[in-house]
Amino acid sequence: MVDRRLFQEIDWILIALVLLLSLLGVLFIYSSSHYLPTSYYLRQLIWLGLSLFAVFLVVALDYKFLMSFSIYLYFLVVAVLAGSLAFARFVAGTRSWLKFGLFQVQPSEMAKVIIILVFARLFAEYKGRYLNTQSAALVLLLAGVPLILIVLQPDLGTALTFLAIVGGALILAGMRRKTLLLLLALSLVVGVGGWNFGLKDYQKKRLTTLLNPQEDLRGSGYQIRRSKIAIGSGGLTGKGFMKGSQSQLRFLPARHTDFIFSVIGEEFGFLGVFIVFALYFLMLARMFMSVAKARDRAGVYVIFLASVLIAFQFLINILMIIGLFPVTGVPLPFLSYGGSSLLSNYMAVGLILNVKMRRFANV
Amino acid sequence: MPDDKIYEDLSVVIRRASAVFLALAVLVLLALSYYWKVQILDHKQFWDLAEANRTRIRVVSAPRGLVRDRNMKILADNQASFKVSLIRENVKDAASSYPAISRLLGISEEELRSRIEKYENLPLFEPVIIKDGLAPEEIAPIESRRLEFPEIEIDAEPKRFYPLKTTAAHVLGYLQERSPEEIRANPGRRARLGDMGGRAGIEKEYDGRLTGRDGSVSEVVDSLGRKRSEQVIQDPVQGQDLKLTIDSRLQAKAEELLGDRDGAIVVLDPATGEILTMASSPRFDPNRFITRFTPEEWVQLINDPASPLENRAVRGLYAPGSIFKIVMALTGLDLGYVTDQTTVYCSGSLQIYGTNRACWFTAGHGSMNLVNAIKNSCNIYFYSLGRQMGIDTIAQGAERMGLGRKTGLDIPGEKEGLVPSSDWKMKTLKTSWFPGETISVAIGQGQLQVTPLQIAALTAIVANRGTRTVPHFILDPPRPGTPVPPDAGAAPPFKRSTFESVVEGMWKSVNDGGTGQGARVEGLDVCGKTGSTQVVSRERAEMLARAGKPIKTHSWFTGFAPRTNPRIVVTVLVEFGGGGGAIAGPVAGQIFTLWKEIEGR
Repeated sequence: MVDRRLFQEIDWILIALVLLLSLLGVLFIYSSSHYLPTSYYLRQLIWLGLSLFAVFLVVALDYKFLMSFSIYLYFLVVAVLAGSLAFARFVAGTRSWLKFGLFQVQPSEMAKVIIILVFARLFAEYKGRYLNTQSAALVLLLAGVPLILIVLQPDLGTALTFLAIVGGALILAGMRRKTLLLLLALSLVVGVGGWNFGLKDYQKKRLTTLLNPQEDLRGSGYQIRRSKIAIGSGGLTGKGFMKGSQSQLRFLPARHTDFIFSVIGEEFGFLGVFIVFALYFLMLARMFMSVAKARDRAGVYVIFLASVLIAFQFLINILMIIGLFPVTGVPLPFLSYGGSSLLSNYMAVGLILNVKMRRFANV
Repeated sequence: MPDDKIYEDLSVVIRRASAVFLALAVLVLLALSYYWKVQILDHKQFWDLAEANRTRIRVVSAPRGLVRDRNMKILADNQASFKVSLIRENVKDAASSYPAISRLLGISEEELRSRIEKYENLPLFEPVIIKDGLAPEEIAPIESRRLEFPEIEIDAEPKRFYPLKTTAAHVLGYLQERSPEEIRANPGRRARLGDMGGRAGIEKEYDGRLTGRDGSVSEVVDSLGRKRSEQVIQDPVQGQDLKLTIDSRLQAKAEELLGDRDGAIVVLDPATGEILTMASSPRFDPNRFITRFTPEEWVQLINDPASPLENRAVRGLYAPGSIFKIVMALTGLDLGYVTDQTTVYCSGSLQIYGTNRACWFTAGHGSMNLVNAIKNSCNIYFYSLGRQMGIDTIAQGAERMGLGRKTGLDIPGEKEGLVPSSDWKMKTLKTSWFPGETISVAIGQGQLQVTPLQIAALTAIVANRGTRTVPHFILDPPRPGTPVPPDAGAAPPFKRSTFESVVEGMWKSVNDGGTGQGARVEGLDVCGKTGSTQVVSRERAEMLARAGKPIKTHSWFTGFAPRTNPRIVVTVLVEFGGGGGAIAGPVAGQIFTLWKEIEGR
């Protein structure tokens, strides 16, 4: 399968950065949940092992081969999404979980990885300097079906990330400025329409809370407020590991999942924040720079879209927990607790490694 | 390998990818600078806020306002009681903890789990009430083992208590736990899950006033959520007290008079509309199910075919029977179909529209004028009047007297009843009106449906010689923006003179050997009218069949006293009582007697 020469080409530095961030995540998951009956940090470690195995699987097969049957995976995941909408058990008010014995998997997380491959295949032979209407329509159609299903679940955070991938594909294919403006106008119309007819009350509330967090201190504004207090009270060096009053006294909600970065901000202060930012930035830079190492157009798309997937989630999460973006339920990749999210992000990293290590390979 | 692949120019896409990364880098840098602002520049402010966050806010339930009767006797009170809550976040191991807790509290594990499941969506740190209504002596054994169960919390709370038990239970209503939907629907109310809210009667109608404002205590907590010290931030404010128009002595008497019989009694002051008594039987004792849980008692009441929870005075629909002759007489006189002098000969039966209609007095009343027709409740007189007037004129008269719509009483759930007309029949049954049906309506049968309260309100209009008042319970503080019927304050429904003839007939009915003589009270000029309804509605008949009761006639009496400047209206309905004169009349008589006694003191 993986021959030795390919193995030598693996980007070990990227893997090291990702692992470092993941272990930091486990550490802070422990800090923020060690007093709870469930051992979340242990679960996260198990998921980490599974994710590494998944990376091995993704890396083992040539990305060209993965792309070639991505369309079948696409139909499979759409079917699962539709099915889970109808049958899956309710978890935390969303229908986004699929239960396999002890493990719960969010099919929407897998959909993000699969759509990357689908787009790469779509644009593999696209030589035009600018995006033509035909391809744009196809992108929107292919993304639209799973996107609508994810929105219906309702999982606003994953839907948003999904949209970022779509946006990334369109930009890379050379969307004209005119089209960009048109899309912006369209999203404005959809936004206004969605606000009035589509959004659930709790989602609207989250948006209004962003604009005025004082208004509803016990509701969703509560989360932002608490998170900001935790981060701000951390100061320069923080209160020390497992000594953050906000996270230890449980004032901070969702502290081991979406708000894990607030725990870091509280317990290790701005220094901790800076270090995580730096590590993240190095990792993202290494991912984006890998674009130049791709041997073909499809490879460029795979690396770029996988990087966008991780970068976008990072950006939204760090903006969300400090109150610069609505609370949409986007986790911090590699750091937040959550098996499906970890798995899908590791698979994205696997795709990047896959393309990068085969840059000299002959097909 | 095809050639074009080797020479494929990827520089454009790579440049675009770099541009996106550059944009990202700028955004990340901006985000970092904002973290700098929050963590370094605004550090002091957030540090202070974080210090304040070592404290937790505990809510202290406010007692509901008291409800008193017109003589200040307490009808709804509060009692000290304890509740036990579970904080799910502190549960170490559900498998061993839940059985132990259920043993400690004496509830089944199943019940405990279903209770917790119900509040699944609540944040884990919010307490879920798992047992309530505990007396101080019941709480002692739980409190003594408190340290073994860090996941449970014991709080005192005021619990609703009705000292007079079943008395006026239908008027007062009762409490139940507010549903999540209810809480969501009233965001302004600041209600929380586990709060109790009014479910019927006064408790529901004036829920907003009776509900107090919860207080709060700030507690300094340790990492296990255990309290280290506390400080009162805001004392709870008790809800507003209410004074009702009810006279509990009359109310108790009315309920005693109904006894085991199903029925309703309404007593009100015609001049003001103040309701002195509203009794409905069968009764219930709300004290036995004021809890957040679903006790046996409640399930039984809900499933009882006699529906004891229903307030028959406002929700029971009955044919008015001969009581309706008051409406017939008023309408006939007012519109000139008859005068005081008009007579009709009653031979005991009458051939109308091809069928033989009998008077209840088969021997025949002889020649009847309007006053005597009311006194003797002669069917033949009103058959003939009804034939002249026709259904739509009758319906008009009935509506003028307030039938077919709500009286505007200040408790929820009042029914409208039904006044049939040719339009109504065409609309709902899609057939035209048969003249034969008019004859049934003329003596208060047919599709005609009224509530006992509507009859009491109608009697008040007669007693007032045409002035309408809105029946109500609230005495103090006065009702906000008193909803009045649309025609209140307008001209009386009929010429004032017409009322005198009807009053004359009603007076004779009680005091001159008429059908209402059972209600006669020495020294009090009682005027009244009896009724016996032969037909029950289909709905009621089915209910009866289920309850296994024989279908007998309902017994009505409605009247007022004294004849001049009336002070009191009494309406009695006894289900399946038999003749109105024999059963309902004497019951009303006893209420008039007690009222006179109370007034005399």
